[in-house]
Amino acid sequence: MSKVMTKMNKMSDEELFKFIEFDSSRAESTAYSGYSYWKSTFKVFMSRRSTRLTLYFLILLLLFTLLQPYFPGQKSPTEIFINPETGRQLRSHPPGAEFWFGTNTIGQDLWARIWSGTRTTLLIAIVSVTSSTVIGIVIGALWGYVRALDRVFTEIYNVINNIPTTVLRMLITYVLRPSIGTLIFAMCLTNWVGMAKWIRNLIIIIRDREYNLASRCLGTPTRRVIVKNLLPQIVSVVMLDVALSIPGVIGSEVFLTYIGLGLPVETPSLGNLIDEGRRVMMNLSQTYQLVFPAVVVALITIAFYSLGNKFADASDPRNHV
Amino acid sequence: MEQQTKIEPEVILCVKDLVVKFSLRGQELTALRGVSMDLYRGESLAIVGESGSGKSVFCKSFIGMLDKNGWVESGEIWYGGTDIAKYEKSEDWIRLRGKEIAIVFQDPMTSLNPLQTVGVQIREALELHQGLRGVAAQEKVIEILSDVGILEPEKRVKDYPHQFSGGMRQRVVIAIAIACNPKILICDEPTTALDVTIQAQILELLKQLQHKYNLTIIYITHDLGVVANVADRVAVMYAGDIVEIGTCEEVFETPRHPYTWALLSSLPQLGVKGEPLYSIEGTPPNLFTEIYGDAFAPRNRYAMQIDLLERPPYFEISPTHKARTWLLDPRAPKVTPPNTSIATAIERNARHAREVKKVFGEKLVEIRNLSVHFGNSRKPFVAVNNVSFDIYKGETFGLVGESGSGKTTIGRAIVRINPPAKGEILYGGKRISGKIGKELDHAITQKIQMIFQDPMASLNERAKVDYIVSEGLINIHPELSKAEREDRVQCALRDVGLLPEFASRFPHEFSGGQRQRIGVARSLIMEPEFIIADEPISALDVSIRAQVLNLLSAMQQQRGLTYLFISHDLSVMRFIADRIAVIHKGVIVELSDTEELFAHPLHPYTRALLSAIPLPNPKSEKSKVLEVYDPAIHNYTVDKPSWVEIRPKHFIMCNEHECALYRKKLARENGEA
Repeated sequence: MSKVMTKMNKMSDEELFKFIEFDSSRAESTAYSGYSYWKSTFKVFMSRRSTRLTLYFLILLLLFTLLQPYFPGQKSPTEIFINPETGRQLRSHPPGAEFWFGTNTIGQDLWARIWSGTRTTLLIAIVSVTSSTVIGIVIGALWGYVRALDRVFTEIYNVINNIPTTVLRMLITYVLRPSIGTLIFAMCLTNWVGMAKWIRNLIIIIRDREYNLASRCLGTPTRRVIVKNLLPQIVSVVMLDVALSIPGVIGSEVFLTYIGLGLPVETPSLGNLIDEGRRVMMNLSQTYQLVFPAVVVALITIAFYSLGNKFADASDPRNHV
Repeated sequence: MEQQTKIEPEVILCVKDLVVKFSLRGQELTALRGVSMDLYRGESLAIVGESGSGKSVFCKSFIGMLDKNGWVESGEIWYGGTDIAKYEKSEDWIRLRGKEIAIVFQDPMTSLNPLQTVGVQIREALELHQGLRGVAAQEKVIEILSDVGILEPEKRVKDYPHQFSGGMRQRVVIAIAIACNPKILICDEPTTALDVTIQAQILELLKQLQHKYNLTIIYITHDLGVVANVADRVAVMYAGDIVEIGTCEEVFETPRHPYTWALLSSLPQLGVKGEPLYSIEGTPPNLFTEIYGDAFAPRNRYAMQIDLLERPPYFEISPTHKARTWLLDPRAPKVTPPNTSIATAIERNARHAREVKKVFGEKLVEIRNLSVHFGNSRKPFVAVNNVSFDIYKGETFGLVGESGSGKTTIGRAIVRINPPAKGEILYGGKRISGKIGKELDHAITQKIQMIFQDPMASLNERAKVDYIVSEGLINIHPELSKAEREDRVQCALRDVGLLPEFASRFPHEFSGGQRQRIGVARSLIMEPEFIIADEPISALDVSIRAQVLNLLSAMQQQRGLTYLFISHDLSVMRFIADRIAVIHKGVIVELSDTEELFAHPLHPYTRALLSAIPLPNPKSEKSKVLEVYDPAIHNYTVDKPSWVEIRPKHFIMCNEHECALYRKKLARENGEA
């Protein structure tokens, strides 16, 4: 301001009251907003310390799960250890310096099994959620945007949705040989329905907005309308849904294994680790076999849930204040 | 005005140097930059300004209803001997809000509780503020309802808000405000969401109530026609400050601030066909940055060096009239203000119509017995009922009607978004409705383009301007290389007066007027022959409208375009359209050349529309007589109505009996002329 004042003092009245030339580019550039949706979402998301800590924790946990076998001094998750004194399996050895999380009832290293199990479970969760999201988006977008398909898809949805998902998953895993592939297939088969319905509802809300009408007037093909106009608007909501589905899938993997339809014991997963732990739960000296896998499941689930919810808050433009 | 000169006016509310700030996305926004104003008891003051000028914030600060991220930085608001700007507790505000100062909002549907009867809602206000109970309260409710012009109030007390029409709902909202028995009533855009005919009735009602309840009313509006109708005094706001304040006559007839000049002269009603409208370039300033000097300077054609350096003080022109501009300083050069008289414009237009006979080519669009239905086939809603008209090459055809009249549906039927239930649409002699061949479909997509009403909703927020503008090009000319496409986008942006580098930005970075021009660029890049403009200016600020209208008419002259211009505003139409069709409830009631329609409106609905339009002219507004259209006057049980050409090129929907009456009337009017 002071600079302006000195400039003013230097000028005579005559100069001050002289017309200045009209500059249309100066007029055109007066209003400019630097707001960016994704930048603001990210800023709001990262602004809370608890969210940042949860995020770092989850990233570390995922990295560790992936890299664990490559660290030095790690044991194989399937090797059965022999007690050198008795020459028999090292059953239910309590946690200690050699076996950090102890051994299970047949003498395998629980530490190695937990991380191997986490890998398996996360693989199932991520692959099945990703594929059901892709299927859900494709079908949901067509269902929501193409009016002619609405009736047909709604009827199909009603039929599928009326079969209890748990029963369906149990049936599939029962009929097919239990394996990672079967579990992923079973999860996808039931998960995409909910996802498709959810996407369809979102699309219907924005379907008749004027910019979509404009695209129709310009002759834009349906595929490009969906990819360019509709999906970018709902991507944040879909990301939230994905974040919340992962703990759900982990939960149902645990459940299926718990009722005996999950993965065979040779492939460790969080589900069968918890199942094994449950069997010896009542024996106080062996409770650790349930506690350790349960804690890992809880940590992952809670981290995904809370991050998902924080992201939902951050992606709401009303919170971009 | 007369009252004021007789009695020394008493100041009821006094604002001094009010500064209000908001914190938004980590930045500080100065919404009000030191506003001062006196409000006199019993007057009606209109605050005019564009969106973002701070007019709503200003009034909300009187009742402590600023959004939670806003605060009063400094300044005083004196009411009844206390400085209410110092209020911090909500109990303080509750004593004031409603009881002393009440507010009526724009949208009646969102300000009523849909789960309670209107009687209960009015009663609640009575019990809270006037302490009435039981039978006395019930009687008062009915009295207030009949005061706001609701027929059979005894019955309607028990109705829910959804059982009322838009205008009636706004009457109920006003009734609730009145029930608090306030001294000051703030009406925040009270009629913007309503149709013109309803708008006129609500304004009439407010004037009556002001008299009966001895109210002081503040109107917040962007519509200068409304201002001319209701206001004793007018305050013009720009960028968080009152730049000019005076009596209604002073501001309209002898405006002194260059912004007021620009605002008044850019009104479409002042335009003359064939000449560009006066337009204010650019957009209002960004209030995030500190403003030096006069906020209007970058857009001001009369800007002086000092405008960029120091903020002007108020200069007094008369005891009631002051303006904040350096042009009034004795050292400033003398300038003659532009002519803003609406009468001259009307006369020049009529002369233009007589002298310049525009010749139109062959029929471009033919609409034959078009009907459009919504809903299922068992219980269809007839949006457009048996409509026929032709549009000639090179003309601007205006389609005027209120909300729900089916005008937008007709436009959308032509671009094939809403399929017709009956009838057909021909383009250049070929049928384009129903099932058509792929080649014709391709050609039509390119030749017919649409411009949408709301520039905020009609651009895809998540795509860059580059994609938005080139979208149609990708569909029609997939053979173009990326460089060629970019070339054409830059060219189209330059054509609509935008900078080519805007292509890499996202739509949210632009103001409403710039966004609407992006929408125009998107249509023009297709090189169309026929453009349907669906209310292209009604969502824009007054100062921006002229820019868009000028652009549209320049494009018509350069490229020989044909327009179908859809609007609810007959007065704007007068300066745009060559021929006008008036549509009511899905039926076109009258169609004729523009000047003929304004000179000899025949159908009672056209007459009602014409009488209801608010003109920015206080003299004609304050003395106007409102005509109300009641469809029940037509007796069509035996004598069925038909489409009659009552004079050459003047069509009207009437039965034989009415036709005879209209003919007599025409003959009489011609005799007088």
